[in-house]
Amino acid sequence: MSEAYADRASREHALYLGMWVFLGSETLLFAGLFGLYSAYRAGYGQPFDEALRHNEQWLGSVNTLVLIVSSFFVAWAVHLTRNDRLRGALWSLVAVVALGLTFLGLKAFEYTHHLREGIAPGALYHYDLLPDPAARIFFTLYYFMTGLHALHVVAGLTVMVWLIRRIRRRRIDAHHHTELELGGLYWHLVDIVWIFLWPLLYLTG
Amino acid sequence: MSEPPRPSRGGRYVLTLAALVALTAASWGLAQLHLGELGPAIALGIAAAKASLVALLFMEIDRYGTASRVVAVVTVVFIALLCLGTGADVAMR
Repeated sequence: MSEAYADRASREHALYLGMWVFLGSETLLFAGLFGLYSAYRAGYGQPFDEALRHNEQWLGSVNTLVLIVSSFFVAWAVHLTRNDRLRGALWSLVAVVALGLTFLGLKAFEYTHHLREGIAPGALYHYDLLPDPAARIFFTLYYFMTGLHALHVVAGLTVMVWLIRRIRRRRIDAHHHTELELGGLYWHLVDIVWIFLWPLLYLTG
Repeated sequence: MSEPPRPSRGGRYVLTLAALVALTAASWGLAQLHLGELGPAIALGIAAAKASLVALLFMEIDRYGTASRVVAVVTVVFIALLCLGTGADVAMR
């Protein structure tokens, strides 16, 4: 244990507080992007709506369900660990990884479809059916927000794989599972961000 | 938290999942009705309800002490200020 802390409880308290501050800063990062998107949308209502309707609603909706269920499995893994049911916790985290990969696979499919049509970010945009410059702004924001979110999913998946290894090696149990709770909090935030991205980018056209 | 281990009940996680799926279905269903100007407000309202469920029941924010709750509240206040400022800017153009 680090000498900076008098006991384990103090160390855990600092870790949890640090994680909540980190999650707060992440939330504000995405909130800034949502604010930017909302301001542009207020100025370019109709072309933004048309661009939004071009996104495949079913893809965004399935991905929403995928992340919600993955969030449940993270909470379930923490619950099982607290009750010393580590095998179930391990398989719950495996389910989270499978769902996270499904999310990224669907996102890659969607990006590929868009890019083949000429819907690319910034100056690379050349989709003739939505020629309004505001559509280019919409899709640039779309790529930036969903891309940044996807990077967070990748980071979360890396943490989940690490946690699976920790459980397999018996480094996590009912008495010592701070890292699992911290990783779980991060994954839930990734879910919350998508909960807002879904209506903004897929539903409200 | 880790020590002493506090048992947790699993039923509420399942109920929370059911509520989140129901709210997702409601959001999708309402989007098909094309409610015009009201549509985005309703969709974001449902999203806020879902985010609250995740924060309160999956993340269990009440479990992590006063300091963590303060961070969460300050974050929400900052977001409210951001929304207020952005809204005022757009409205006055």
